[in-house]
Amino acid sequence: MAQHTLERFDADSNTAVLSLDAGIYPLDAVYGAAYALIDRAYVLLDKEARAEGKGSRFLIQLRGKIKLDQAAAQALSGEFGNELLSQALRRKVVKQNGGLIEEIVTQAIAGATGASLPQDFLDDDDDDLDFLDDPLGIAVPWEEKFKKDGKKNA
Amino acid sequence: MATDLTISLHRAMYMAQAIRDAMGVFDDFATFSMEKKGDHYEVTIRDVDPEVDGDIVGEFSNFALAHTIERKRRTPK
Repeated sequence: MAQHTLERFDADSNTAVLSLDAGIYPLDAVYGAAYALIDRAYVLLDKEARAEGKGSRFLIQLRGKIKLDQAAAQALSGEFGNELLSQALRRKVVKQNGGLIEEIVTQAIAGATGASLPQDFLDDDDDDLDFLDDPLGIAVPWEEKFKKDGKKNA
Repeated sequence: MATDLTISLHRAMYMAQAIRDAMGVFDDFATFSMEKKGDHYEVTIRDVDPEVDGDIVGEFSNFALAHTIERKRRTPK
């Protein structure tokens, strides 16, 4: 059985109604999918208990801002379903990797403020050098460094 | 005489404060009242300004939904 179905489409009111099993999709994912469609449809969310206490289901009413036909309503509901899956997966990934993401962001912020520079970076063992000293030869002109031997002697 | 419009918003899906925010924003175009009825907040819309040519019910419910989502995202779990 499909987990989200286009329950009905009413051409007169330009409205498609989808139903979802509330036990499968978290409310946050439903919110995310609804938010993504809010620019194209008037979205109304509802919830109803199933008969005989068999859980509950979400009812999503999508009323098109432009005129919909059966195919367009089907496409809109399909898009809602795709967005729903994407939102559900995104939440799962964030939940699984939340600690790691938090650690990376903490290190990045701490690094930007200079709070966690490595100790060897701070070690200054060149204290005995004068500012005119040039142990790496950086101040030597290019011509002098790479001139041919013949010219060197000239 | 214009008929009243009503929208039922499920209390598990919409935050009362978000609905009140929407009522404040759309206040210039109609008169709104809200009451709890079972699992729903029932919003009644009266005296819609005849100059309004958009879908006030749809815009109102979208606004209430968007504000509910934004408020829930801001609230730490």
